[in-house]
Amino acid sequence: MEAVNLRVWSLSSRPLKHLFRLASFSSSSARRPSSSPKLFFFRCSSSSSPSSAATASTPSASGRNRRSPSSTTTSDREAIRAIRSKKVEELRSKGLEPYAYKWERTHTANELQDIYKDLGNGEELTCESDRVSIAGRVVARRAFGKLAFLTLRDDSGSIQLYCEKERLSNEQFEHLKTLVDIGDILGANGTIKRTEKGELSVCVNSFAILTKSLLPLPDKYHGLTDVDKRYRQRYVDMIANPEVADVFRKRAKIVSEIRRTVEASGFVEVETPVLQGAAGGAEARPFITYHNSLGRDLYLRIATELHLKRMLVGGFEKVYEIGRIFRNEGISTRHNPEFTTIEMYEAYSDYESMMNMAEEIVTRCALAVNDKLTIEYQGTEICLERPWRRETMHNLVKEAIGVDFDDFSGNLKAAKEVTLTKLGSTLESKNKIAIESCPSIGHLVNEVFEVVVEPKLLQPTFVLDYPVEISPLAKPHRRRLGLTERFELFICGRELANAFSELTDPMDQRGRLEEQVRQHNEKRAAALSRGESNKGKASEDDDDDESYEVTLDDDFLTALEYGMPPASGMGLGIDRLVMLLTNSASIRDVIAFPILKAQQ
Amino acid sequence: MDPTQYFENRVKHLEAQKADGKNPYPHKFEVQMSILEYIEKYGSLNNGDHLQDVTVSLAGRIMSKRSSSSMLVFYDMHGGGAKLQVMADASKSGMEEAEFSKFHSSVKRGDIVGVTGFPGLNSTILRFTIVASSQKIESWLVGRPRNPEAYILKDQETRYRQRYLDLMLNSEVQQIFKTRARIVSYIRKFLDNLDFLEVETPMMNVIAGGAAARPFVTHHNELNMRLFMRIAPELYLKELVVGGLDRVYEIGKTFRNEGIDLTHNPEFTTCEFYMAFADYDDLMSLTEEMLSGMVMELTGGYKIKYHANGLNNDPIEINFTPPFRRIDMVEELEKIAGLNISRDFSSDEANKYLVETCAKFDVKCPPPQTTARLLDKLVGHFLEETCVNPTFIINHPEIMSPLAKWHRLKPSLTERFELVVNKHELCDAYTELNDPVVQRQRFADQLKDRQSGDDEAMALDETFCTALEYGLPPTGGWGMGVDRLTMLLTDSQNIKEVLLFPAMKPQDEPPSAKGPTTAA
Repeated sequence: MEAVNLRVWSLSSRPLKHLFRLASFSSSSARRPSSSPKLFFFRCSSSSSPSSAATASTPSASGRNRRSPSSTTTSDREAIRAIRSKKVEELRSKGLEPYAYKWERTHTANELQDIYKDLGNGEELTCESDRVSIAGRVVARRAFGKLAFLTLRDDSGSIQLYCEKERLSNEQFEHLKTLVDIGDILGANGTIKRTEKGELSVCVNSFAILTKSLLPLPDKYHGLTDVDKRYRQRYVDMIANPEVADVFRKRAKIVSEIRRTVEASGFVEVETPVLQGAAGGAEARPFITYHNSLGRDLYLRIATELHLKRMLVGGFEKVYEIGRIFRNEGISTRHNPEFTTIEMYEAYSDYESMMNMAEEIVTRCALAVNDKLTIEYQGTEICLERPWRRETMHNLVKEAIGVDFDDFSGNLKAAKEVTLTKLGSTLESKNKIAIESCPSIGHLVNEVFEVVVEPKLLQPTFVLDYPVEISPLAKPHRRRLGLTERFELFICGRELANAFSELTDPMDQRGRLEEQVRQHNEKRAAALSRGESNKGKASEDDDDDESYEVTLDDDFLTALEYGMPPASGMGLGIDRLVMLLTNSASIRDVIAFPILKAQQ
Repeated sequence: MDPTQYFENRVKHLEAQKADGKNPYPHKFEVQMSILEYIEKYGSLNNGDHLQDVTVSLAGRIMSKRSSSSMLVFYDMHGGGAKLQVMADASKSGMEEAEFSKFHSSVKRGDIVGVTGFPGLNSTILRFTIVASSQKIESWLVGRPRNPEAYILKDQETRYRQRYLDLMLNSEVQQIFKTRARIVSYIRKFLDNLDFLEVETPMMNVIAGGAAARPFVTHHNELNMRLFMRIAPELYLKELVVGGLDRVYEIGKTFRNEGIDLTHNPEFTTCEFYMAFADYDDLMSLTEEMLSGMVMELTGGYKIKYHANGLNNDPIEINFTPPFRRIDMVEELEKIAGLNISRDFSSDEANKYLVETCAKFDVKCPPPQTTARLLDKLVGHFLEETCVNPTFIINHPEIMSPLAKWHRLKPSLTERFELVVNKHELCDAYTELNDPVVQRQRFADQLKDRQSGDDEAMALDETFCTALEYGLPPTGGWGMGVDRLTMLLTDSQNIKEVLLFPAMKPQDEPPSAKGPTTAA
């Protein structure tokens, strides 16, 4: 298609020399110091420049040789920018503004496709009431002498522009040939027609360049193959791959559906602080910042939990917050330093109630974006039909390795020996070390669960009754000693939600948080002394998981002393839910602008 | 009683209960309905009515307790913005008298209780009778004046630092935050109905762009990277419009490393939206529609009462009836102050003239005295002072508006407006600048201001400029401070009134239950 395009529009007689001059001028102007040498994808056929120079010379060389040293492609891009900048001047010299102020459109592309879906091939509607006005980005075009086809894409979809020389003024048809490039944003007026080939089209009577693009779009067929670039320049990704935008549309739908679901149950949305004097509610390394006028360090929140519980103390009975959480951790396909959660708290209920809420939220979101409850995630079929399996952690572990940890009556040493024997040689050494260093049976059960059971929990499963040692904010189980009323929801081997009957006893809570701080400080001291004895690797030890400080949120404990009603609470990771429901492999596919390593 | 002793007594009582095998922190109490729902259902009972065959379970916090004898105890139970009187009668309680007396003597003000009984006005059977002579405690309606001086808990420090006490004791406060939720919800509904898409953009940026303000700095350990907390989501949102999302909005936190005062908190909530193919005229209409519609829905009218001049003076009226007044910034400034400002705003001559004008009218402008800052101070002094009812101040000079598009008719001005209500800026919007060449030039001009000492001048964002080179459609962009709007609609003069947990100066001593500061 582009080949045709390029041939037909090869009208300009701008000499080759001129192009090279422009190119070298631009690239030496050093305006874009960040231009990486890997910009080969910008050398794309969609450049569609009317300049024969651009099509005939440098590009063909790099076109054959895409991965060749990229100085050619960078200068190529600069050349196109220079040519298009000239067009900007040309438009202005004709009294046309290449960056228009507004455009009144009557329809979106999709609305037209919908309204005129029954229009037969070759039929045209010339009636005044069928005159339409649309706007969007030119993503493709073909031309044959006195006829040109442009594909215009807007937010909703795309539609063809049918541009006949007779219907346009001479001047406008000339502009279409010489001044319009793929990538430009155009507004067009015209009537509706379906071509013989069945393509719904707007027969253009007049059009305007609304925004002149200076850079060529990436190649439609080869797409944006540089993954890093896709995330760094998300807008290019979205133009080149329209399905990327669909993920964000679905994300909006999911968040909206979550809000609708919880608000229908009477939950009130609140906002609690991001900047805090002490980062509590979870165990994670926080980001630290400094407030100039207060003259103090502040932490970015690692959870919203402790502030939302204060709301229950204050008399709110059902509250929720959807918001950003920050953890100073490594980045991966599952982790971004800032991510979005919903946390919700309901007075006078227990964790059973949150299991129902989790089912309700996830199934309603699945229906909202996929219209069905059987979905596919990365090749695995997931059935979200309710009710979901509910099983205790102890039973799941027993089922997997045949060990009942209740049998050890607290004998940690024996429990470890049996575990290691059972798991035997299949165990990776890092897991073996983790098991050996577990300080309690509770930690041990959890470790075995994470290694053996977690990856196998593909279908939705509520894992119940976590050991108290690893659940400092959950209420002791009403029947089972040493356990808490806590669950985590797993789908596709990933934790999606975490909930408990909230601990409301201030004495118990203080003891547990103090113990958590004590344990953390022990590990921290150990990490620091490792750093001391290991000076050569000091920089690595800076990044040790435990090297940050943990402080007690005393005011939270004070709030509990004033009395918090029995309550249940849940946190649910929205990014992970969006990944699941949009079949996205990486968290970076569902966050519009993920954090990336600094560019070299 | 001495608070420390009270605390110790309660702890002893709890320990005794636990030793007795009773759990003072039960896992769950089956609540059949909220107090508010109960009132709606049974509030119309007549004196003497009692529905003995109905059993209801309710829960809440005991806020007062009265005994007419050891055998008859009355409680006020609060919860979910309503209160209810609960009566316990020993003769009908199913308990021995001694047991009844012991039980009720252990129930203290502040305890959270679950009660089971039947609706009635003056008789009892179970342990508690729920008495229907109860009322909603919403004494305050949105848009009406408030009187925080009448609160049970008056001390501001305690109210803001221990918001849970404030919420517990001052019933109006819950209404403030429920109003806030309704405001945010209204904005979302309004934009969703216009097919806007809600998105989330990063709060941590490599460059703090989109506004002129001092950012918070933080550090990512593993990436060993310096990051700034966002000062505006603007640039990212425009990048999404470049990417083909024609209508996007974000409601979220923004951070500025500034001092704390009556209208500033280091983190605050804004709504920004971007609408392709629209200009600032369209946005003025949308603003009128959104705000007047919201005030109408929340208050039932277009006019609200606001204590603009402190609680000691009568509240003023603010009228949101559309259309709002529009005044041209420079023209109006010239008219009101009798000035003649050169339209070559970046000239030394214009700067000199404005320095002299500020001196003449005693308008303070701390250095650096850039033309943009001087104009801003004069506008604050002469124009914003006249804007009590919502007023659009429009067509700002280019030098004040590095991201706004040049005016299509008026040279050196931009298509921008600020909405001022009660003399404070509420919204800021413009036809977006989408010419990449001009945008780079504007950033370069900002750099000049920065070099002349204005450290709040805007920094160049290369990724954003590249995005513009791919083409941003004609777009109208709009931002509004959610906290400030909430202040107006809840008659709050201090931003801390509308933030659940406002930033506070560090305290020497942490709050403690052993020294409660409640006034009651």
